[in-house]
Amino acid sequence: MAEGDWLDIRGWVEALSFAVADNTVGMSRFWRQKGTTADILTELIMAVVVFGLIMTTMLVLLWIERKFFARIMDRRGATMAMRSLWVGEGGEHVDWYGLLPFGTGAPFRWLNRWLNKVAGSDHAVESVARVHDRSYHGVWWMLPGFFQNIADAVKFLTKEWMVPTKADKFVFEVAPFIIISSTIMLFAFIPLGPHVWSANPDLSLLFLMAIFGIAPLGVFFAGWSSNNKYTLIGGIRSAAQLTAYEIPLLVTVLAVAVLSGSMNIIEIVEFQMVMDGWNLFLLPLGAALFLITMIAEVERIPFDMPEAEAELVEGWWTEYGGLRWGLLFMAEYLRAYAACLLFAIFFLGGWEPFGGNLVAQYTAFIPGIAWLLIKSWLMFAVFVWVRASLHRVRTDQILEFGWRWLLPLSLVNLGIAVWLRLWVWQGEVWSPLVPGIITAIAVALFVLLAIDEDPESLGGRERPYSVHVKAGPAGPGTHKK
Amino acid sequence: MAEMWISMGPQHPMTHGLWTLRVKVDGETVIDTEPDLGYIHRAVEKIAELRDFTKFTTYCDRLCYASANTWSHAYIYAVENLLEVEVPERAEYIRLVAVEIQRIASHLMWLGAYCPDVGNLTAFVWCLREREMMLDLLQELGGSRLHYNFPRVGGVKRDLPIGFAQRCRTKINLFLNRIQEYEALLDESTVFLVRTQGVGYAKPEEMVNHGVTGPNVRAGGINYDVRWAHPYSVYDEVDWEPSVEKPSIKGADCYDRYRVRVEEMQQSGRMVLDALDKMPGGADTHHQHGDEAILAKAPLRAPEGTSGFHHFEDSRGESMFYIVGGGEQRGKFPYRNSIRSPMFITIPYASKCMIGYKVADIPAIMGSFDPCIGETDR
Repeated sequence: MAEGDWLDIRGWVEALSFAVADNTVGMSRFWRQKGTTADILTELIMAVVVFGLIMTTMLVLLWIERKFFARIMDRRGATMAMRSLWVGEGGEHVDWYGLLPFGTGAPFRWLNRWLNKVAGSDHAVESVARVHDRSYHGVWWMLPGFFQNIADAVKFLTKEWMVPTKADKFVFEVAPFIIISSTIMLFAFIPLGPHVWSANPDLSLLFLMAIFGIAPLGVFFAGWSSNNKYTLIGGIRSAAQLTAYEIPLLVTVLAVAVLSGSMNIIEIVEFQMVMDGWNLFLLPLGAALFLITMIAEVERIPFDMPEAEAELVEGWWTEYGGLRWGLLFMAEYLRAYAACLLFAIFFLGGWEPFGGNLVAQYTAFIPGIAWLLIKSWLMFAVFVWVRASLHRVRTDQILEFGWRWLLPLSLVNLGIAVWLRLWVWQGEVWSPLVPGIITAIAVALFVLLAIDEDPESLGGRERPYSVHVKAGPAGPGTHKK
Repeated sequence: MAEMWISMGPQHPMTHGLWTLRVKVDGETVIDTEPDLGYIHRAVEKIAELRDFTKFTTYCDRLCYASANTWSHAYIYAVENLLEVEVPERAEYIRLVAVEIQRIASHLMWLGAYCPDVGNLTAFVWCLREREMMLDLLQELGGSRLHYNFPRVGGVKRDLPIGFAQRCRTKINLFLNRIQEYEALLDESTVFLVRTQGVGYAKPEEMVNHGVTGPNVRAGGINYDVRWAHPYSVYDEVDWEPSVEKPSIKGADCYDRYRVRVEEMQQSGRMVLDALDKMPGGADTHHQHGDEAILAKAPLRAPEGTSGFHHFEDSRGESMFYIVGGGEQRGKFPYRNSIRSPMFITIPYASKCMIGYKVADIPAIMGSFDPCIGETDR
């Protein structure tokens, strides 16, 4: 459907830059460089367009993090921001519209009365009203809290920038640049639609994964240069964790490339569209592995050891403040956004509509970028869901899980991909049986693993997770033994 | 990695208060710890010598902000022992209701603080949501949200408000149902289990030798609950049993300490419901009894040489008050008021429990002992 997408931003930009180059350089004595100028102009404009699209749509991520998390947590503040304005706590509100002259506040009163009726939690007994608060979650269609991000950004801009005494100032300053610039560079290679991309080399997948591995270096620099024990531990944890999870991630991505027969991201998506089968249904194990390793790579709960706020205060971020902290925070969400986009691209068919070819002709008016963004936002909702339901895993458990389980499983996944590509795939559209059977097996395995829990034995079993090390109290010279 | 000392505190998310834990680490492994207490010492015992008995109750509220009612009640019982006051039975029941609701609120505060320690913020908000209901109930009794000043020498401040019993039953039943949600979020989560099981073993005999009490020692399988071993109020008349865990051979781990508190919350809920049913005069009646049903007359002065003592099952262990009467010289003031704080004994022991575990286990272990620094530093 690459050709069916009417939102041909790249084509428009190309036409525009050719016209511009034609009328400027083409008129001068450098007219031979007309084509080069047009290409450079196209790339520049597309880079700005993609960057702008990413930065504006990232606000949705922050909004999902805030609101969806608040709903799961049943938190009153974030879920009722608008309610306190219109409906009021327990039906009480500031009667500001009553002060308006000539009864002009009446429409507000009617609106408020109506909101109270449909969405309020009024009850004669105050405690019952409070209990009812549980089911009420604000007027969602007003997007309350969406512009909180702008307020946050303004706050970061006004903060002072401090470098700790005895910190290695040069490295301390350079580390955020490494992290942020490499993170933004990721989006050069992520296509947002068939005609919305900034760069498309033949080996874009390889480029992407190579750039993904730069940020841990910056994290380690940041942790080391801050001259703080917490940041040091956080930086070392980050280095260990990202190394352990980079390898399963790469092997999983390799399996996707093998199955699609290409290292080019756009071709991976088009393979899924043309062959009529999303990789999610062909490589469910790979999808799970990709999800887990990506959560670890972007350092979110349950794998946020490097910034574990309970014991490391804020990990390697601790000494950063002001705008640099804000930008690091943004880079964190950008990495999460990249992870979601890549999941949608690798496993959810990219910009193919839900339902594939069956509905494509009816949804042609929706551009591909909308489908991709919706899929990636849904994936981010899954990230938030995981964060809300799980606890933080300990360092040694993270590393053990990575090396002992994820690495062998990713190799198994690679084997499955090779088998599918070489022996099952016949060079034409997938028979519906193949994804059907694989998905059925995966669901059956999942259900089996999920119900195989005996709550009785859970309480009384021998604790299997003890990692106690025999270490006596330290004294002079004890470390030399 | 080389060994190094890390100073966690006095401002650190792990401390749950204002104190310092100095940790010596070898890489990620803890090899030595040193607790450093006393940042918020307020000389409460000295303040007690300069006030008469009734005016010190508010200071007892402030000993622990998470569990104010239990501390003021512990003090009041010691004063009544000193002045030999007979308390009306209805007042005892009202006190039991207030204390047990406070215990639920305190344990919810603990669970809410413990789950972020091991990385989950959802349970924190859920716990505070339920604690809000308990604080509403206590607000109806005492008039304020945290420091109630509810008990009086010889009784309680006032009778149950109109409709309190009905609201209390509703909320306690709602809370008892919602405990299942916590178990779905925590007990059935493998990640929670791997963080708490097999971590922070505390041997029962060591705990007894150190003087650790309360839920921490009951998690080690030792059935010592002051309410059960030496029933003081009407605890022998209501329907409950102490919650005791069966630990593994290595001792009680963080999961045992979590379970014992969750079960204790259920027992407290049962106790409140039962006390409302058995209350003399009925819990649903209001102000039909007169003041003498809830407040007995008490003398203001204690003769010289007399002493009052009471040990009380606080939310965190066994709190004790020992008060010596002032006699002629001191007038209405006591000669000495000595406070025994359970956490002052538990925190040094808990600090030693984490030797040999990882740095990431420090908040998991320390949090599971439920530290409260207000009462520790007094």
